[in-house]
Amino acid sequence: MSSSRIHLSRRQMLKIGVLGGGFSLGKFLQLQADGGKQDSERSAILVFLGGGPSHQDTFDLKPGAPDEYRGEFSPIATATPGIEICEHLPLLAQRSKKYSLIRGISHNLAAHSLGTSYLMTGNRPTPVVKYPLYGSVVSKEFPAANDLPSFVSIDRPVEGPGYLGPEYGPLSTGEKPRYGQPFRVRGITLGDGLTIGKYRSRQELLSDIDTAFDGYERLDDSVRGLDRFSKQAYQIISSPRARSAFDLTLESDQQIDRFGRHDFGQSLLLTSRLIEAGVRFVTVLLEGWDTHQDNFNTLGRELLPRLDQSLAALFDRLDQQGRLDSTSVLVTGEFGRTPKVNDRAGRDHWAQAMVALMAGGDVHGGQVIGATNDKAEGPVDEGFSPDDLAASFLQNIGIDPKTEYASNVGRPITVIRDGAPIDELFG
Amino acid sequence: MRCYIALMIVILVATLQPRDCVASDCLPPVSDRLMAPGTNEVPDFQKHVVPLLGRLGCNGRACHGSFQGRGGFRLSLFGYDFKMDHEALTAESSSGEESRVDLDLPGKSLVIAKPSQQIAHEGGRRFEAGGWEHELLERWIAAGAQGILRPRELRHLRIEPSEVVFGPDADPVEVRVVAIWQDGAQEDVTPLCRFRTNDDSVMTVDQDGVVASVGPGDTHLIAFYDNGVAAIPVIRSIARVAEAQNDPSDIPRTKIDQFIQEKLNKLGIKSSPVCTDAEFLRRVSIDLTGTLPTPHEVESFLADDSAGKRNRKIDELLQRPAYAAWWANKLCDYTGCNPTQQAELGQDTSVQWYMWIYQRLRENTPYNDLVARIVLATGRDEGQTYDEYAADVSAYFRDDSPADFSDRQTMPHYWTRRSMEEPDDKALAFAHSFLGIQMQCAQCHKHPFAPWTQDDFKQFSKFFEPIHFGVDSESDERYREMAKEVGLNVRGKNGSAIRNDVLKHAQAGGTIPWRELLIEERSEPAKLSLLRSGVVEIAPDEDPRRPIMDWMSEPSNPWFARAFVNRVWAGYFHVGIVDPPDELNPANPPSNPRLLNWLTDKFIENEYNIKWLHRQIVTSDAYQRSWKANASNQDDRRNFSRTVPRRIPAEVVYDALKQAVAATDQLQQVRSDLSRRAIGHLSMRLAGTYAMHVFGKPERAVNCDCERVNSPTLLQSVFMQNDPLVEQRLAESGWIRQISEAEQAGRPFVTEDFIRQAWLRTVNRPPTDTELSRAQQHVKKCESVGEGVQDLLWALINTKEFLLNH
Repeated sequence: MSSSRIHLSRRQMLKIGVLGGGFSLGKFLQLQADGGKQDSERSAILVFLGGGPSHQDTFDLKPGAPDEYRGEFSPIATATPGIEICEHLPLLAQRSKKYSLIRGISHNLAAHSLGTSYLMTGNRPTPVVKYPLYGSVVSKEFPAANDLPSFVSIDRPVEGPGYLGPEYGPLSTGEKPRYGQPFRVRGITLGDGLTIGKYRSRQELLSDIDTAFDGYERLDDSVRGLDRFSKQAYQIISSPRARSAFDLTLESDQQIDRFGRHDFGQSLLLTSRLIEAGVRFVTVLLEGWDTHQDNFNTLGRELLPRLDQSLAALFDRLDQQGRLDSTSVLVTGEFGRTPKVNDRAGRDHWAQAMVALMAGGDVHGGQVIGATNDKAEGPVDEGFSPDDLAASFLQNIGIDPKTEYASNVGRPITVIRDGAPIDELFG
Repeated sequence: MRCYIALMIVILVATLQPRDCVASDCLPPVSDRLMAPGTNEVPDFQKHVVPLLGRLGCNGRACHGSFQGRGGFRLSLFGYDFKMDHEALTAESSSGEESRVDLDLPGKSLVIAKPSQQIAHEGGRRFEAGGWEHELLERWIAAGAQGILRPRELRHLRIEPSEVVFGPDADPVEVRVVAIWQDGAQEDVTPLCRFRTNDDSVMTVDQDGVVASVGPGDTHLIAFYDNGVAAIPVIRSIARVAEAQNDPSDIPRTKIDQFIQEKLNKLGIKSSPVCTDAEFLRRVSIDLTGTLPTPHEVESFLADDSAGKRNRKIDELLQRPAYAAWWANKLCDYTGCNPTQQAELGQDTSVQWYMWIYQRLRENTPYNDLVARIVLATGRDEGQTYDEYAADVSAYFRDDSPADFSDRQTMPHYWTRRSMEEPDDKALAFAHSFLGIQMQCAQCHKHPFAPWTQDDFKQFSKFFEPIHFGVDSESDERYREMAKEVGLNVRGKNGSAIRNDVLKHAQAGGTIPWRELLIEERSEPAKLSLLRSGVVEIAPDEDPRRPIMDWMSEPSNPWFARAFVNRVWAGYFHVGIVDPPDELNPANPPSNPRLLNWLTDKFIENEYNIKWLHRQIVTSDAYQRSWKANASNQDDRRNFSRTVPRRIPAEVVYDALKQAVAATDQLQQVRSDLSRRAIGHLSMRLAGTYAMHVFGKPERAVNCDCERVNSPTLLQSVFMQNDPLVEQRLAESGWIRQISEAEQAGRPFVTEDFIRQAWLRTVNRPPTDTELSRAQQHVKKCESVGEGVQDLLWALINTKEFLLNH
């Protein structure tokens, strides 16, 4: 390593105070002015099954396990010979060639917040570093066009941009789209009684009175930044592209029905629209998997049918639009659930085994990678870590998981420090 | 306890000792000595071999310094683990055939053959075969490749000359670096150093120490050798010196201004004039109290013609509760007060923490005393029984006339956070909070920029081992009894966190069992090095925090007061004198060392009087300068020749919005009710909310001042233009309601007055005539004056003038 290399990284570290991520605001503005690093057409969707879905009742069934382990559901065949999934996922079974299942993912953080942190960042949480969401990494590497946000989190954001800094945080819609009700997107939807005309007239007033720094626009990054972002916010809020991307009333009844008239279906429908418009990363939540009791009714009657319908519709739509090759999809929770069914017909937290689904991009569909033992207690062989899953996801988006960023903790940090991409996924 | 301060390392002031290396005392560089005919000198492992590997980059992160090693060969990252490096060099190579160090055939050793590329080397050619580097390694091997038992102490590293000032010709300058060892030996180590520039738009340096000018400005050249770090300023004046000089008759008004002007004169920078009264009032109100001035305050300040009104305003602001509230918030940043990391009852304990500091700032407790009462905090007071302790803590939570936590002598929550469980984490946080230094790197390897080695960190960390949070064995029985009474489930030896159902007993006036901050006894006395500032002996039953606090309270302590002074400075300017402000290390020297030294010395002389420090800074012209740049200072962002506009902090944005829309008769209350202000108690409740995230309020989860981000982002602009929270503020504005009511009731009013008020409420100055008529034009277009003024408020809070402190 030459001394110039050392000094480069040091310079980056000195700039951390200016903007998280060792990337000065000035540089960021320049990059944006140059049209961003938009050579990539990649985008990604993360479906987070919050609460910890039972792996053995979804995509990793154990029909041969003893009664107290097996659960109530039966497996069904899929379009891929030899691969079986839960009977409540028939539409996904038909589309098994579109995705791969990763079984035997394993860790030891069986608490919701820690597990979520781990799975949403690909780094084991520590008290001293806040790791960024995948979406934050993607917005840093592949910012969207000027009139669109790069990273949208439908409903509330899970975690944040961590050491990369607020610049890379998600635009969080604040609520889920509900069929038949107007959907308000925080920051995008105009307030009651506010029309585009009104907003424009306010903008005109603003541009006429925001003159204190005239002649000094290029003086400092703070002045330049405010100017630029103010204009960009105006573009986003007033642009037909962004507004129509968030407008579900533009969808046909047929599409609405295919995705489902429930929150999750509408959220995934919105996701499709956002990705089609050019948003780089969308996070969607489907919660309620924390089934300490009544696991089988909750899954069988509510969660699995919704997941099945909407996810299948998403795959179909991405496929029809020719976007599946450029859109990487990851579906995961924060951990799996106990092998034995408890006396309340529930299952408790279990991090030693979980399952995830990946699709799109370079993922070679119709595969099961990894396996758990006959009681779904843990992986046979070594299994995979959440870090491996994260490294695979980022690689599939076109980001080297070993990319290094300057951080706010005094040392450079590798995006996914410990994991390695799971080669078989792409084989 | 005996404390030896004699070994105080003075690397920090390396540049203040310009003493030429007297030729006869000083060995010429090893590159010359070894190549001289007839020499039989044997290179030394610590002094020559390891520094050479560092300079060649062998022990860097991308090469053999990687924790995985490279090609089966791993060195300690950035050196200084002499045992490990010696073992790695003399071990069998991974191929097992050739040796890295071949004592029989030294020239065939892989450590020579590979970097000179006689054999393929992934890292490329690092030196020429037959060159002095080759000679150095071969001789060391031929003489038996000896390691060292104990590292020798490097006393001082010096760069000559002590400063580089480029003239108009800007010819490159060659520097020389001299190492002075503890035994007095001196050696020119220029060819064994690593060099770095701190700003490559000002200068570059090559590996032989030749400094080339790139552009005007000032920065530092840094040299690294062994565990030493030395720095010298490198300056190139702005070209048109004659026209840019400050007028010699312009005598600096304060001592601070004098130090700044001396530096600016060297750089050929002319300062901007002081700002207008309106700018001053807004700026100082935000910086001192986190609060915008009221329209009335602005008008009376502008109308006041008397001399000294700025200083009087400063004194007045320092007396306001909002001063203590805002700076308590800042001190909570530095100390890491985070509701999610408290051991229990996060909201309550973090508010206690905040209020405790708030109260100290109200009282203007000296900084060293304030810190001592955190550092030396205990659960119990001297002589208190466990029952008394539990009753005391319970009383803070009583619904009926609760005891006031901020009356406590000490504040223990600093130590009891869940993020502070491990001694290493305590050491990292402590160094950051009170010394302004970052030690993370040294946790795993030699710090690449600071002088810290892994051993320095380990020793420092050991101080914190006996600090625990839990229940001591003598109180355990009583603790369990009380726990049983209130239904608290206790697992393990260390007690349990108080849950809300248990807390109810305390709220009702009862006593519940609290865990406490404990200093456990060590099994044997410890003898520990205190960041190489001396060795401390600690008796088994001694509180190890005491010697650290004593050491920090020494006026000669290089970090304690300095870190605080620099952080306060950084709170008033967009950068610290050392920047980042929490990286006090010799490779990150102050932009103006005399200024920082003077301010630190005087702060100590003034008995750590915090208000004295604030007053010194904000009464200076430097603080009060205009942001309007001239040709000579438009690129100056580190020498304080003008104000650099900066975005107002998250909490201030939040409070300022509320204030801007408040009904006239509520303006005072909106400002003074701290329990409802983001800079006040609400600071804890708001932590982690969307608005605070968007505006970069720190979670206080990591040891970095940079966690607070005050730069603009896209989401902030989206937020200000169209967030429901902003819309709601405008829609529910008491002031707009007043206007509308007057309008509907047909009461007479003058629209111009409202427009003036809108400007005074937001950007805190009256509008110009052009602005006034533009606003009037807009209001006329609207269906009502209320609506028009609402639009105007929206536009004003979206101006740069509102969002920037300028």
